[in-house]
Amino acid sequence: MISLSGAGAAPSVSSNGVTGNVEPTGSQPAAALTADRLYRFFRTGDEETLALRGVSLTVARGQTVAVVGPSGCGKSTLLACLAGLDEPDGGTVRVGGQRLSHRPEAERARLRARRIGVLMQSRNLLPHLNIRANIELARTAGRVRPRLRGATEGSSAPAGVTELLERVGLTRRAQAYASELSGGELARAGLAVALANDPDIVLADEPTGELDGDTEQHVLELLRDRAGAGAALLVVTHSPRVVAIADRVIHLHDGMVTS
Amino acid sequence: MSSPAPTPRPALAVSCEDVARTFGRGERAVVAVHGSSCEVPFGSRIAIVGPSGSGKSTMLHMMAGLETPTAGRVSWPGLPDVAERRGQIGVVFQSPSLVPALTVVENVALPLVLDGVPDAEAQERVTEALELVQVTELATQLPEELSGGQAQRVAVARVLASRPSLILADEPTGQLDRANGQHLVEVLLATAEQLDAALVISTHDIEVADRLQERWRMHEGRLKTDEAGLKRTSVPRATHADTTTAGGQR
Amino acid sequence: MTGTWLMGLLRRRGGRLLAVSVGIAVAVSLIAALGTFLTVSQQTMTARALRSVAVDWQVEVQPGADPAAVRATVAASSGVRAAVPVTFARSTGLQATAGGTTQTTGAAVVLGLPDGYRARFPGEIRQLSGSASGVLVAQQTASNLHIRPGSQVKIGLGVKRWETVTVAGVVDLPQADSLFQKVGAPVGAQPSAPPDNVILLPAATFARVVGAQSATPLGHGSQAPGSPVVAVTTQIHVARSAPLPSDPAGAYAAVLGAAHNLEAKLAGTGVVGNNIGAALDAARSDAAYAQMLFLFLGLPGALLAAMLTAALVGAGAQRRRDEQALLRTRGLPPRAIGRLAAIEAALVAGGGAVLGLVAGAIASRWAFGSSNATASGLLEVFGLSPAWAVVAVLFGAVIAGATVLAPALRDLRHLTVSHARHAVGRARPPWWMRYGVDLGILALALVVFWVSSSDNYTLVLAPEGVPSISVSYWAFLGPTLLWLGGAMFLWRLATMSLTHGRGPLARFITPLTGRLAKPAAATMSRQRRPLTRSVVLLALAISFAASTATFNATYQQQAEADAQLTNGADVAVTPAPGAPLSATATAAIARTPGVTHVEPLQHRFAYVGADLQDLYGVHPNTIASVTALQDAYFQGGTARQLMATLAAKPDSILVSDETVKDFQLHPGDRLNLRLENQSTHQLTTIPFHYAGIAKEFPTAPKDSFFVANADYVAKMTGSNAVGTYLVDTSGTNQPAVAAALRHTLGTSATVTDITHTRTVVGSSLTSVNLAGLTRLELAFAIILAAGSGGLVLAIGLTERRRTMAIISVLGARRRQLQGLVMAEAAVVAVGGLLGGTLISWALTQMLVKVLTGVFDPPPSSIALPTVYLTVTVVTVVAALAAAAAFSARSSTRPAVEELRDA
Repeated sequence: MISLSGAGAAPSVSSNGVTGNVEPTGSQPAAALTADRLYRFFRTGDEETLALRGVSLTVARGQTVAVVGPSGCGKSTLLACLAGLDEPDGGTVRVGGQRLSHRPEAERARLRARRIGVLMQSRNLLPHLNIRANIELARTAGRVRPRLRGATEGSSAPAGVTELLERVGLTRRAQAYASELSGGELARAGLAVALANDPDIVLADEPTGELDGDTEQHVLELLRDRAGAGAALLVVTHSPRVVAIADRVIHLHDGMVTS
Repeated sequence: MSSPAPTPRPALAVSCEDVARTFGRGERAVVAVHGSSCEVPFGSRIAIVGPSGSGKSTMLHMMAGLETPTAGRVSWPGLPDVAERRGQIGVVFQSPSLVPALTVVENVALPLVLDGVPDAEAQERVTEALELVQVTELATQLPEELSGGQAQRVAVARVLASRPSLILADEPTGQLDRANGQHLVEVLLATAEQLDAALVISTHDIEVADRLQERWRMHEGRLKTDEAGLKRTSVPRATHADTTTAGGQR
Repeated sequence: MTGTWLMGLLRRRGGRLLAVSVGIAVAVSLIAALGTFLTVSQQTMTARALRSVAVDWQVEVQPGADPAAVRATVAASSGVRAAVPVTFARSTGLQATAGGTTQTTGAAVVLGLPDGYRARFPGEIRQLSGSASGVLVAQQTASNLHIRPGSQVKIGLGVKRWETVTVAGVVDLPQADSLFQKVGAPVGAQPSAPPDNVILLPAATFARVVGAQSATPLGHGSQAPGSPVVAVTTQIHVARSAPLPSDPAGAYAAVLGAAHNLEAKLAGTGVVGNNIGAALDAARSDAAYAQMLFLFLGLPGALLAAMLTAALVGAGAQRRRDEQALLRTRGLPPRAIGRLAAIEAALVAGGGAVLGLVAGAIASRWAFGSSNATASGLLEVFGLSPAWAVVAVLFGAVIAGATVLAPALRDLRHLTVSHARHAVGRARPPWWMRYGVDLGILALALVVFWVSSSDNYTLVLAPEGVPSISVSYWAFLGPTLLWLGGAMFLWRLATMSLTHGRGPLARFITPLTGRLAKPAAATMSRQRRPLTRSVVLLALAISFAASTATFNATYQQQAEADAQLTNGADVAVTPAPGAPLSATATAAIARTPGVTHVEPLQHRFAYVGADLQDLYGVHPNTIASVTALQDAYFQGGTARQLMATLAAKPDSILVSDETVKDFQLHPGDRLNLRLENQSTHQLTTIPFHYAGIAKEFPTAPKDSFFVANADYVAKMTGSNAVGTYLVDTSGTNQPAVAAALRHTLGTSATVTDITHTRTVVGSSLTSVNLAGLTRLELAFAIILAAGSGGLVLAIGLTERRRTMAIISVLGARRRQLQGLVMAEAAVVAVGGLLGGTLISWALTQMLVKVLTGVFDPPPSSIALPTVYLTVTVVTVVAALAAAAAFSARSSTRPAVEELRDA
C-alpha cells in the first residue's frame, strides 16, 4: 500500500510524443505492425461465435493506436492475435514486414521475444520470481538488442534492468514478489517487464483499467516515452484518458472495425 | 428487512472514530489507514476518491465490518447487532467476488439464503435485482462465462437483492465502459433511494464521483471529509487527526 | 535464467515442491522396500534350500564302473569340495536277542561310511543315543529289535549267512528320503519309500562283513566262489563349494548345469542324484510366488502413490498454465519452457528419490529387521537392494515426468496461449465415460477372471527338471482390470450422483450445512471434479489397504491352519507303532511343565468294503480344546454341531466326501467298517452311522479317512491304544515343551512341535517373513489412504478458499463455513469408504481366487482383519477431519485478504 510519489518518479518523461498531432503513418514508410482481414471463430458446445470478422489495421513506428469498443467486441482476441498468442482462423499478422501468424510457435516466440512487449491488465509477473528476476527473464528471452535503447556495446544487461526499475520507480522494490506489491506497483512492475526487451511494438490490454488517475498518468507517460523512441503502441482500452493521448482510435464492434 | 423501521432509528448508518489499520509487523509494516474519522448518515450519498493504494478499499472494508481497525472504533448506531448486521450491509468488491461454482441466480440469492429468506420471496427479489442491472438473460450463466463488466453488475444485483441499509461499493465501475458504468451508478443511487439506505462509493472516476452528493478524499491513508464540493444534507465531522492538508492534488 | 528460476521455485514454492516430492517418495520407498523384500526373501529361500540339504549330490557309480575312478573324476571337477564314497548293500534281515526273545526284521539296508563322513555331512545322521563311532542302527530298527547300544546284531547276508556286529549307537536319519533315493529315476517316477531297517557300518567293518568290494578295484560283482552274492553299490557323496546366484531360479539353473556337466565327464560311469537341485527346484516356484505377491500387492501401492502425486500436481495446474502463458507471452520458445518444466520435474524427482530411499531403508529395516541377516555388501550397508533402489528411483523419475513434465509439454503443444489463460468451461464428461470404457473394462476383467480361473490354470508353472519357470502373467490382468475398471466406474457413479443427485445430496448435508445445503450441493455438483477425484483416490487407497490386509490375513490363517492340520496341536507325541506308551509315560506327559492339556487321539485302520482307510477316534467333548477345528473342515454341520453329534450318538461317524459318493451315503445311513480286534487280532465288523463329512482333520492324511467316537471304537475293538497324544501348551513355548517331552520319553515316541512343523509344511515362502511384508504393506496402505483422503481433500478445499471467503463476507457465520467444509469431508468419506469397500470386496475375492496356488489348504472363507480395517477407517476419517478442520480454520482468516489475492 505504498502510494506513488507523484510525477517525481519519472522526471525525464518527454511530452512531445504526447502532444504531437502529426499523423505519422504518412511520413513513416515502415509499418511496424499490420493486420490483414483477421477472422477468429470460437466454438462453445454447438454454438459458434465470430470474435473477429475481417479486422485490418496498421500501426506505424512511433504511433499510438487505441482500440475501443464495448465489452465482448473482440478487443482481447484481436490483441492476442496481434501478439501471436492466438492463431487467427483467417488473415495475416505482420511484424516489421515479417509474417507472425501461421508460423511454428518457436518462430512466433522468437519474434515476440525480440520485437513485442505485451502488457496485460493483471498477472504480468511470475509469482515465484521477484521483480528484478521477472525483468531479467524477459530480457533473456529477447536477447535484448541495443538498437532501440541506444545503448553502447559496453553496457551490460543488469545495468539496463536497474535503469528500467528506476524509470518505473521501483528501484527499492526490486527484490519484492508480486504478492507483496500494491496495485499501482504491480502495474508499474508489469510495465517494466513488458518493456524489458526494448520492443518495437507494445501491445497493452486495459493497462490502466484498475488504476487511479496518477498511476494511470505515470503508466501512460512511460508508454508514450516508448513510442517516442520509435515503438508502435497499440492499447486496448475504455479509458478516455488513454484515448486522449492516442494518435488514432479504432472502434471495434462485434468483431468489426466501425470507424 | 426492507420496510422502514416503525420507531425512528438513529440517523447514523456507520460511524468511524479515529480508525487506523496497519498490515504486517515491524519493519515491513504498512499503514493503510491513519487515524481517520467519519460519519455516514442514512440517506447520504458519498464518494471516496483518491489514488490507488491510498487506503480507500481498507476504509470501506472497515466500514463494512469485514476488517477490524488496529486502532479506533467503528460503530453502526442505526443497524441491528452483530448477528443481524451482516445482512444489512451490502458490499460491492473491486475484485471479482462471485462464487465460481454458482450460477448468476444462485450467486444473487446467496445472501438471502444466508439470511433465511423464504424461497418464494427470495426468488422474487433476485429476479427484480437482475432486471434492475439488466442481466436477466445471464441468469443461468456461471461467473467464468461472464465478462468482467457483467460480473460486476451481477455483484451489484447481489447487493440489491439483499436490500441493505448501508451500501458500500469499491470501484464498482472499474471493469465497465463509460455507459455501463454510468448506468450502474444510477442503479445504485436509485436503490439507495428506494431503501432509504446510505451509499458510499470509492472510485477514481471523477464522473462517477460527480454523481454523488458528497466527495471525500483519501490520500496516503488519511480520509478528508471536508472536501469542497457539492455538500448537501449531512455535514461530516472534521477529523482531528488529519491536521495536515494534503492540498490540491491535480 | 535457469538458476534464477530454480531458486525462485525453491524459495517461493518450497512447500508445494516438497509435497509433490513426498508423493514421489512414497512410491520410491514402497518399491525400494518391497524390492528389497523380494531380493532378501529370494536370498533366504536359496540359503534355506541349500541348508536343508545334507548331501549336495549323490553320484551313483554305475555297474561295471570303477568307484575309485569315478570318485577321482568327481573330486577333480570344479566346485566340488568333498567327494566321499558310500557303499550300500542289501541285507535279508537283521536279528537280535534281547530279554530272552529273538526279534527278526525284514529286509534291511547296510551302509558303509568312510571315516570322517559324519564330519563332512553333519546333517545326514543325528545321534540319539550311544557312541557316535562304530556300528549305528536307525531308531526304528532299534525299536523293532528291542536293542540298545552294546547289543549284538546279526546281519543276514544272502542265504544262511549271518555276520554279527556290536551296536555302538542309535541314530536318526532325517534325510532318509534322499539318502535312499533311486538315483537316476525318471522324472515323475513314484518316489520310493526309505527302508524300514538301516544299519550303518564304518567302511572297514563294511568291507570285513559284506566283502572287500569297495577296497578292490575290480571288486564289484566279483565274489569268492561259493560265497553268496551280495550286491554292493557305491555312491560318491559330494559337498559342493561353488558359489551360486542368490535367487533360487538362477541357483537351480547353475546347479543343474553343473550336474549335467559332471555326468558328461563321467561318460556313463556315474549318475548324479541332485539333492541340492531338487531343493532349489521347490524353492524357485516359491520364489516365483513371492514375485507374484510383490507385483500384486506392491504395484498398486506404487501406482496409488503416483496418482496421489498427480493429484497434488494437478492442484497447481491452473497456476502452471498461467505461468506458461506468461512465459510464452514474453517470447520464450517452447523448448525453453519445456526445459523449465523439466527442471521442476527433476527437482521433485531428485527430492522424492532422496526422501524415498531414506524412508525405504528405514521401512525395510523396521519391517524385515533381522531377516536382512543374509544380506551382504551394499544391501547390508544401506538396508536396500541397490538394484531395486535404482528401479525405485527410475519409477520416481517416471512419476515426476508424467505428472509434472508431461502436462506442461502437452499444454505447450496443444493450447494456444490465449486458451491457456482461460479456465475450462462447463465440465463435459471425459471421453471414456461417454463410450462406456469403464463398463467394458469391468466386463473384460470378469471374462479374464473366468478364463484364468478355469480348471487347467496354474499361476506358476515350474516343470521339474526344467530350469526355466513360467508364471501366468495373465493372472494379473483380472485384478488389474478390476481395479482400474472399478475406479473408473466409481468415477462415473460419483459424477452421476453429484450431477443428478443434487436433491438427495442437499438432504444428506443439511445436518452439517443447514440453510446453505442447496448452494453447497450446487457447488459440489458443479465442482465435482476435485470431489470425484478425492472420492476415487480414497476408494482406491482403501481398497488397496483392505484387499491387501484381507489377503494377507487369509494367507496367514491358511498357513496356520496347515500347520495345525499337520501337527494336530501345539505339540504332538506319537508312540512307536505297536508300542503304546505306559501309563506312567502318559502321566509324565501331562506333568511336563508348560503342558495345559493332553488329548489322546486314536489312530486305526479300517476297511470299508475293500478299501483301507485311516480311522481317528476322538473324544468329541474335549478334542476342540487342543486343536482348532474350522467349520470349513466339515460339511453337514459346523465343527461344534458334528462333535456334539459324535458325543450324543457314539456310533456316529464322519467320512470323506469321496466315500459318501462311492457308497451313496445319506445322513443316518449305517456304515459297516472292519477293524482289527485287539484280543483276537481278527477283523471284526463294527456298525457306524454316517453323520457328516470331514474334509480335513488334524494329523489326518489329505485323502480319505474316518472320524469316530474314541470310546465307541475302544469298546468295539477292545483297545484304547492311542495313536497320537495331542498336547496343548496354550500356544506358547512349544519347542521347549517338545524338548522336555523328548527327554522324558526317549526313543519310545516321536515328538513334534508346531513351530517346527510350520517351517516344514509351509513353503519356504511362509518362512520368509511374510509378516514383515504384511507390516510394510499395511503401513504404506494406511499412509496412502490417509494421504488420499486428507491431502486431496485439503487441496480441493484450498482451491475453494475463495468461495469460502466470498460466502464469509456475505455474512456466513463461522459455524456455517465449518459446516460447508465438513459437508465436503463427509461426502468424500462416505463416497470413498463405500466405493473402497465395494472395490476391495470384489478385489479380495478375485485375488484369493487368482492366487489360490499360494494357499494351502485353499481357503473356504476369507479372513477379515477387523482390527486393521478399523484402524484404517479411523485413520482415514481422522485424516479427513484434520484436513477439514485445517481448511475450516484457514477459511476463517480475514476473508477480505483472500479476496485481495485475486
